[in-house]
Amino acid sequence: MSTIPQSDELLAKGLLRWFEDLSDRGIFTTDQSLTVRSWNPWLEAHTGIPAGQAVGKPLLELYPSLSNRRLDSYYRNALAGEVHVLSERFHKFLLPIGRNVPSLGTIEMAQSARIAPLSVDGDVVGTITVIEDVTERVVSERELRNQIAASERARSIAEEASRLKDDFLATLSHEIRTPLNAVLGWARILRTQPRLKSRTRGLEVIERNAASQLRLVEDLLDMARVMSGKLRLDLKTLQIEDVVQAAIDVVTPAAAAKNIEISASFDKGRPAVNADPDRLQQAIWNLMANAVKFTEPGGRVDVQLSKVGSTVELIVRDTGQGISREFLPYLFDRFRQADASASRRHGGLGLGLALVRQIVELHGGSIEAESAGVDRGSTFFLRLPVASSKLEPKGVDARRSSLVTLKGVALLVVDDNDDGREMLVTALRQYGAKVKSVATAREALDVLLESHFAADVLISDVGMPNTDGYEFIRQIRANAVTRDIPAIAVTAYANPEDRIQAVVAGYQAHLAKPVDPSVIAASVASLVGTKPTLR
Amino acid sequence: MKLTAVQEDALIELLNIGFGRAASSLSQLTGHRVLLEVPHVTIHPIDEVTASLERVILTDVASVHQIFSGAVSGDALLILDQAGASMLKELLTNEPALPLSIDASAREVITEIGNILLNACLGTFGNLLKVQVSFSVPQLSLESLAAILESLRVNQEGVKYALVVHAGFKLRDTEVRGFLVIVLSVASLDRLIRAVEDWEQRVP
Repeated sequence: MSTIPQSDELLAKGLLRWFEDLSDRGIFTTDQSLTVRSWNPWLEAHTGIPAGQAVGKPLLELYPSLSNRRLDSYYRNALAGEVHVLSERFHKFLLPIGRNVPSLGTIEMAQSARIAPLSVDGDVVGTITVIEDVTERVVSERELRNQIAASERARSIAEEASRLKDDFLATLSHEIRTPLNAVLGWARILRTQPRLKSRTRGLEVIERNAASQLRLVEDLLDMARVMSGKLRLDLKTLQIEDVVQAAIDVVTPAAAAKNIEISASFDKGRPAVNADPDRLQQAIWNLMANAVKFTEPGGRVDVQLSKVGSTVELIVRDTGQGISREFLPYLFDRFRQADASASRRHGGLGLGLALVRQIVELHGGSIEAESAGVDRGSTFFLRLPVASSKLEPKGVDARRSSLVTLKGVALLVVDDNDDGREMLVTALRQYGAKVKSVATAREALDVLLESHFAADVLISDVGMPNTDGYEFIRQIRANAVTRDIPAIAVTAYANPEDRIQAVVAGYQAHLAKPVDPSVIAASVASLVGTKPTLR
Repeated sequence: MKLTAVQEDALIELLNIGFGRAASSLSQLTGHRVLLEVPHVTIHPIDEVTASLERVILTDVASVHQIFSGAVSGDALLILDQAGASMLKELLTNEPALPLSIDASAREVITEIGNILLNACLGTFGNLLKVQVSFSVPQLSLESLAAILESLRVNQEGVKYALVVHAGFKLRDTEVRGFLVIVLSVASLDRLIRAVEDWEQRVP
């Protein structure tokens, strides 16, 4: 039977052919002179070189790049008996073969290879090379690595944000406590020594510190509004020069106290912008206040306003302590402060410039800072688009018409906090109102229903023990006698949601603490239908 | 069986020549300056190798195993603890290693490193003994040290000894330590040590 192989050698040949044909790897052999002796179908398919062309050719002629890449030594070592592993990471590939990968197009096939001696009875007669295509593995490993790197980055960003918030909380506590110390200290002094000569001075300190704390809380709330997208702009067409001048006026006393000269130059064309005057002033005031705060006595602050094409550019340049190159990129980030240490020289929350940027960006503008480095001054560039059309001015601000009289108006004040209640009563009486006050919702209902106090307007705190302001107003609205009495909620909860909740519960108006007595008076006046009249 | 100080010195010197060749291949491949040194060589009966290495390596290891045959035959292994293997891969490839069990590229890199070292070491011995040794294709495995050494012990005829070569890779200010374990028959080991002594006497 001639079809059956007659020797081991023939059997081995048949076996090798079978492996070569079926393998999903490239397999070729050479003899001792490194002439190719076999070239399997995988190699034909991937290199495009048919076995007929490869077999009989010297390997290093078929692939001259093997010598250029010094891989020929691997073959010489193989002839001396050594096996070599060629990892993809170190060699990329053995034979240059193009491979099509979805999403990447044609790339060099990534290969892992083994080069080994072919021995017969202990004598090396040639070499065998096995090539594995690891392109897909390499691509997926790269993706995995990228994902891991991306999640590491995300984690470190989150950790950084959390650390900044911790720093911020520490700063916040400090900043809130500092003015409170002064307020409390002076309040105690004034209570124990009523006839003290420096009484006025003490009251000034209390007022100034309370005002600074209010400013701080307002910054915080503004930031919260910006972050939740709730900061709304009330846009008007206005001359930016007026806003800048107003901001300069505000910081002038502080500058004068430090002997800092402020100089201003304005564009002759008086460019107009569409802006929320209060917000824009807040932003510009912040820039000016920073310039003065961080400039040493005897320095200067230059303010320059000019129209550049369709942009208004405000430049605030100071000769102050400057900004380090490292901190500059983070200048407008929330909670960032160049010096967050406890021993820092300047107070503040690190919210100012973040707010400035948010406000400016809400106006469609931009802000940038430049500094040649520490102690070399800083320059801020605030740019806003020039107004292309004029906006109709809105109605008069309630606060402007606050000089009212409440003569003959009966008010019931409900507040569990004795000081707050007393302040309200005193203030409202000054407007001529007849004011009754109670500490709880229960007492309020008694006064209204049992004592038949005919209140024209109710003014109630929201956060009260037992029955809170929301529950109180629901009871008022549920009772036929009291149902129609207008009511104002006065609360420390100053978010827009709180405002909505108060109105939903049954209040006509919602005012945030601390309230300016003139604002509450104006609100009462509008509720009783009293035309605000000049006193 | 114990090496004399003279024998150990001569073996270390010889191995360092071979490792110099391996280090220069690694430096060329990776573009980093890699130094390899052999501070220490010991000989143990195969049954005691586990105990002696476990004093140094407690965790799971990555091992690269090559069988060699010819006039001298036996098993050669590079053994690294897995953290060391990952570190070596990171240092040599500039990319973070994932756990070896899921990082096929890292396993392959370690296999090639093992291959280079074992070739250098056995090539040196082959030259010394003037015999040609042929090698099997290296295999990497991730197992406990005990499991690896146990697989060497079974199916071995006669008393076997292991030459344990302590190896230190130094690159980029970091050192990664590992071991080469070469398992030989008593006769092969005797021939080797005698050849080393001859070599030592020939070298001025």
